[in-house]
Amino acid sequence: MEVVKEKIEIEEKVIMKVRNLKKHFEITKGYIKKQSSTVRAVDGLNFDVYEGETLGIVGESGCGKSTTGQLILGLLDATEGNIYFDSKDIAQMSQEELRKARRDLQVIFQDPYSSLNPRMTVEEIIGEPLVVHKIASGEQLRKEVLELIKLVGLGEHQLKRYPHEFSGGQRQRIGIARALALRPKVIVCDEAVSALDVSIQAQILNLLKKLQKELDLTYIFIAHGLPAVRHISTRIGVMYLGRMVELADRDELFVKPLHPYTHALLDSVPIPDPKLRKTHQLIEGEIPNPSNPPSGCHFHPRCSFATERCKQESPEYREILPRHFVACHHPLH
Amino acid sequence: MSNPILDIKDLRVRFKTEDGFVPTVNGVTFHVNEGETLAIVGESGSGKSVTSLAVMGILPPNGEVYDGEMTFRERDLLKISKKEYRALRGNEISMIFQEPMTALNPVFTIGYQLRETLILHQQLTKEAAHKKGIEMLELVGIPDAEKVMSRFPHQLSGGMRQRVMIAMALSCNPKLLIADEPTTALDVTIQAQILTLMKNLKEKSNTSILIITHDLGVVAEVADRVIVMYAGEVVEEAPVFELFENPKHPYTHGLMASIPKIHDVVENLYSIEGTVPNPTNMPKGCKFHPRCPLADKDCMTIHPELEYINSTHAKRCIKV
Repeated sequence: MEVVKEKIEIEEKVIMKVRNLKKHFEITKGYIKKQSSTVRAVDGLNFDVYEGETLGIVGESGCGKSTTGQLILGLLDATEGNIYFDSKDIAQMSQEELRKARRDLQVIFQDPYSSLNPRMTVEEIIGEPLVVHKIASGEQLRKEVLELIKLVGLGEHQLKRYPHEFSGGQRQRIGIARALALRPKVIVCDEAVSALDVSIQAQILNLLKKLQKELDLTYIFIAHGLPAVRHISTRIGVMYLGRMVELADRDELFVKPLHPYTHALLDSVPIPDPKLRKTHQLIEGEIPNPSNPPSGCHFHPRCSFATERCKQESPEYREILPRHFVACHHPLH
Repeated sequence: MSNPILDIKDLRVRFKTEDGFVPTVNGVTFHVNEGETLAIVGESGSGKSVTSLAVMGILPPNGEVYDGEMTFRERDLLKISKKEYRALRGNEISMIFQEPMTALNPVFTIGYQLRETLILHQQLTKEAAHKKGIEMLELVGIPDAEKVMSRFPHQLSGGMRQRVMIAMALSCNPKLLIADEPTTALDVTIQAQILTLMKNLKEKSNTSILIITHDLGVVAEVADRVIVMYAGEVVEEAPVFELFENPKHPYTHGLMASIPKIHDVVENLYSIEGTVPNPTNMPKGCKFHPRCPLADKDCMTIHPELEYINSTHAKRCIKV
């Protein structure tokens, strides 16, 4: 076991680096008396993504996890900070380099109903990226599409059908096939299994794992459902109000959470076993409005360990154990 | 043991569509005892929500109960007049929905909507209703209840709105509370708060709860008894401990094996092959047979009955 672990560490290669990433949205209210405020959706993120891993990003509504995904995909421009992909700053890339990078970065969305064009056949949907990037046409295109649809567990006879003829799980497979068309290196899965029934969710999670092995993919798996994230991730980052509060190897995070928020979040998940029924360690209160976050540590008003220092001073995000990052003045354990 | 306050026998519901009648609930039988929490679990299309709408008497216009019996506290729900039904709803049976934003009226204040229920059903004066409304909001853990009374639904967060819904549903001391996916739209820390609240309220008021959910975690947390539905039928019924310890039906088995466990990581999840059948084109025999690992020839032709293996545990399967 030890030997295997060492081997992984040697082979770990950083494929993406995120440094001080910020995205602020200006909100203006009122017509006569204009008021403006800033929502700090993402407020200073630092993390690396290793080649071949699945980095899970979890958090509750408003924590900025989806915005992070959109920034990584280049669907939003960052207010500040940098994203390095294959050691190159995405913001500094030339048109040509950017086009190449976009091929390497693909996305699977949450809702397989609204992310597929209802007027296109499955064949057209899956083949579109190849046509747009002028990679294949004619017989070659058909062959590639056929290969892709088989890869995700659907059949040739389904190519001429339209999205409405498929169930949610099958549509998600179509979305995955489309994401794979350009042979990407990194796939951002934004709540990719959240809308699916449990039996279908298991099928898709297994498929994603299988594809990762076969095609050497790196996943950034953004979700609010902790059990699914735990199942698929290698490492997990926890976000709260635009900041990463903790990031660690999957099992370490679950066994030894250091941030009080992570601890409470894990404790809130209902366990499907009535014998383990328990009183939850409830977090008081609501998630604050991101346009007006609390001072100091954003979590302090809901934290049972908060002190005066937490109200004043924003805790630094630091590696306090090997590979275990946390932003807290009073980490647990 | 105790008396059933709701007794459903062989309930059948169908919807009128362009292609004729589509049956969605096909002979569902269950009961809810006094002070008990019964959970109905199932995936989309299992008929669990339609069952609850039928009990409330609020099926969409194209849906109808075409067979079966529904008895609530010795009254036949299929025979009572619309007026009687309306008096029952909100007073003796109330319901909370998945998305409180769509269930609350956006143009009236929380206070107005809470008072309306109380004035209508409990014949309180406006002042008394206002006072009771504040009490109810405090009961469900809303800070600053007085202020919240004058707020509009959009000014509250999702968790607060769901608390308001619960306050409203409980304001007339109903005998039965139907909760359709009450925490599905909420964040997990808020879900824990709401589930704890529901458990506490039940202990205090002895209200029976019928909770409809797809989340086995929620079931394990709150239910006393569980029925598992698949394709418009009950496929298994058991007390919650028994069900989790000793699931009989292959579908229940599959469901439990296919959820990722937070404390027990496996390399590959068990997955039930295929998809839920379309109600317009149900398989013959056992409706689960095309997806079932145990299915054989008999399963394709014989439609199994719900059969009790002891006094509380029933399954609809000929193989186990």
